[in-house]
Amino acid sequence: MSDASEVDTLITDTADRLFSQLCDHESIQKAEADGQASDIWSAFADTGFPWISISEESGGSGGTLLDALEVLRLVGYHAAPIPAAETGILGGWLMSSAGLELPSGIVTVLPNGSQGLAVERTGDRLTISGRGLRVPWARVAETIVVPLEIDGQTFAAAIDSSECQISRMTNMAGEPRDTVDFENVDVFAAVLPSEINLETFRFRGALSRTALMAGAIEKMSQLTVSYTNDRVQFGRPVAKFQAVQQHLVWGAQDAALARMAAESAGREANRGPALFEIAAAKLIANQASARATKACHQAHGAMGMTQEYPLHHLSRRLWSWRKEYGGDAEWSSWLGRVAVAQDADGLYPLITGGSAVLS
Amino acid sequence: MNNRLSGETIDMRFTPTELSKQELELQREVRGFLLEELPPGSHEPCLGMAARKNKEFSLKMADRGWVGMALPTEWGGSDRTAVDRFIVVEEMLRWGAPVGHHWVADRQTGNVILKFGTEEQRERFLPAICRGELGFSIGMSEPDSGSDLASVSTKAEATTGGWIINGTKIWTSGAHENDWFVCLLRTSPLEDGNKHAGLSQFLIDLKSPGLEISPIPFLDGSHHFNEVTFNEVFVPETNVVGDLGMGWHQNTTEMAYERGGPDRWLSPFSTVEQLLREARGTDLEPVVSDLFGELIARWWGIRNLSLSVARLIDTGEAPSVESSLVKEMGTRFEQEVIEKLVHLIDLEYSPDSDSLFERLLAQCVVTFPGNTIRGGTIEILRSVASKGLKGLPA
Repeated sequence: MSDASEVDTLITDTADRLFSQLCDHESIQKAEADGQASDIWSAFADTGFPWISISEESGGSGGTLLDALEVLRLVGYHAAPIPAAETGILGGWLMSSAGLELPSGIVTVLPNGSQGLAVERTGDRLTISGRGLRVPWARVAETIVVPLEIDGQTFAAAIDSSECQISRMTNMAGEPRDTVDFENVDVFAAVLPSEINLETFRFRGALSRTALMAGAIEKMSQLTVSYTNDRVQFGRPVAKFQAVQQHLVWGAQDAALARMAAESAGREANRGPALFEIAAAKLIANQASARATKACHQAHGAMGMTQEYPLHHLSRRLWSWRKEYGGDAEWSSWLGRVAVAQDADGLYPLITGGSAVLS
Repeated sequence: MNNRLSGETIDMRFTPTELSKQELELQREVRGFLLEELPPGSHEPCLGMAARKNKEFSLKMADRGWVGMALPTEWGGSDRTAVDRFIVVEEMLRWGAPVGHHWVADRQTGNVILKFGTEEQRERFLPAICRGELGFSIGMSEPDSGSDLASVSTKAEATTGGWIINGTKIWTSGAHENDWFVCLLRTSPLEDGNKHAGLSQFLIDLKSPGLEISPIPFLDGSHHFNEVTFNEVFVPETNVVGDLGMGWHQNTTEMAYERGGPDRWLSPFSTVEQLLREARGTDLEPVVSDLFGELIARWWGIRNLSLSVARLIDTGEAPSVESSLVKEMGTRFEQEVIEKLVHLIDLEYSPDSDSLFERLLAQCVVTFPGNTIRGGTIEILRSVASKGLKGLPA
């Protein structure tokens, strides 16, 4: 490994090539129709990509959180229809942090934590009942992980998916977001280190979506520049028209803004607590995706509204991811409380200093 | 790491960067200076780069080495980086400091003279700029040349020992108070098919005989803008900047320094900060608190982009597409901030209010339409940036 504060480009170049080969238009369409993409996942998993940032001693692939986030950015860029975040920096992270053995298959998490679950503890034995909503790729997962708070401690609980009842649901992009029912299901639980709790899990989820969104907005912006320079109307490429240039520039700005936010938050999270940066980055990615999808769709005209053209692989994912792990209201409210808690003189130092000011 | 936005069409270079220990030390030093010179509550904050002129303040900053700081030490500068200058400018603007006197010289004229000027011009102007003494105006727009800058028609005609100038420049900020005028003039007639040729840059003494300055009152009655007319004004040969006919190219280079810095996204900060100051102790409505959350997130994001542009300049690049993107986004954001405040806060604010927040907000509402116009309209910026996105020359 190189310097821990830099992305290992060997990893990310390989991931980029892999996705370029596998995630063509037809494959993404097929994954949506089939409700999974086992061939893309196999190729991705065969190289150990899902477990980057989880140490080799814990059964992972090693590497840093930055490497894992860069791979997620590429997942978003290529609209790769796979549970990379869930198996890696969310579920895999919870399990390995608690010392649970990682399964070889797909791991997913209950995005809303233990909300809606009843947990019973009998000695060392934990059983849960209830319903998990919008669980990514539960239908193909081997293990479903949930963080549980019991008596002031947070546990990672791993559930064998075969013991759950799974009903197929999707998000707006056709990605699996299943409903999972539990009835007195036995779980393997182990206590998590003190820095991991339901709140930090929520932020980790937001960080994963921020990386995915940064990639998707960037690809969308590039598609739009290409399309408008190729598409000729009134005798010239439509990109020559000022009204269209506005959309190109706004899309490119939001691509740059979202990526800068995601990478800055990732760097901070790679070092330590990064609550401010993650909250700000998710809010920025949410709002950037709203503006950029609007601009890019408008610049594409009717072509962008068809299934045959790939814009929707990105825009529909962005509309979905915007609402996952915290929409605009949740993060602006969190950041607002933090901002207002500073006095006026502390407001600018918060912008320049971020989480370091809060600790 | 290769952090470029890759792909066939786009090659933007925004790489996350952080301040080093020395840079954070500079930030602390500037904050300490401001706390001492302009304690909060003791001064009426300025709204960004449209700051009051206060020569005494400029001289104090220069004493610290913070005016013309990126210029080489041999010309009186401090040989500091673009990032160091970013830090000083950022703190000054968010504090609402009166940086108007040295603003133009510090941001761009010093660079232009260093890059294109003669040894004699460097000797004559750069140390005085770095001492905070000289104020500069910029002469680009004319009555018939706004966004179509290449059409400037104010003429410089060769004469013995120099040039005779005739014509009119408008929207010239601060000409009535400044010392010097950096002017884009036509030195040879407009050619068909090569409208960027035949333009040259001149340094003109604003006290020159035949040069007349008359105010163009700003919409609120204040005096920033002027019309400057040249009636047979003589400018010595030694005041031509750079090569004859290369004015357009020099001007474009100058723009890369002008765009994308903190002056393009910090103008409403004092107003937002003052809202929090005046609201202290009262319960802010959740929607107002949420707005603070949204604004600090955006400021954090845009600042990171803008800082990365400064870092890129320090590697010797001229990131004109990146800086145009940041300026276009930053100035629109400035207006959005004010619109959101106006939308949420139900006050009939007045420029004469007892509340500083209300006075600032009123001033923002009235003056901020200019933020997306000055120094190149956002429409022109979009044109520059969108060509760059496709990899075409701007």
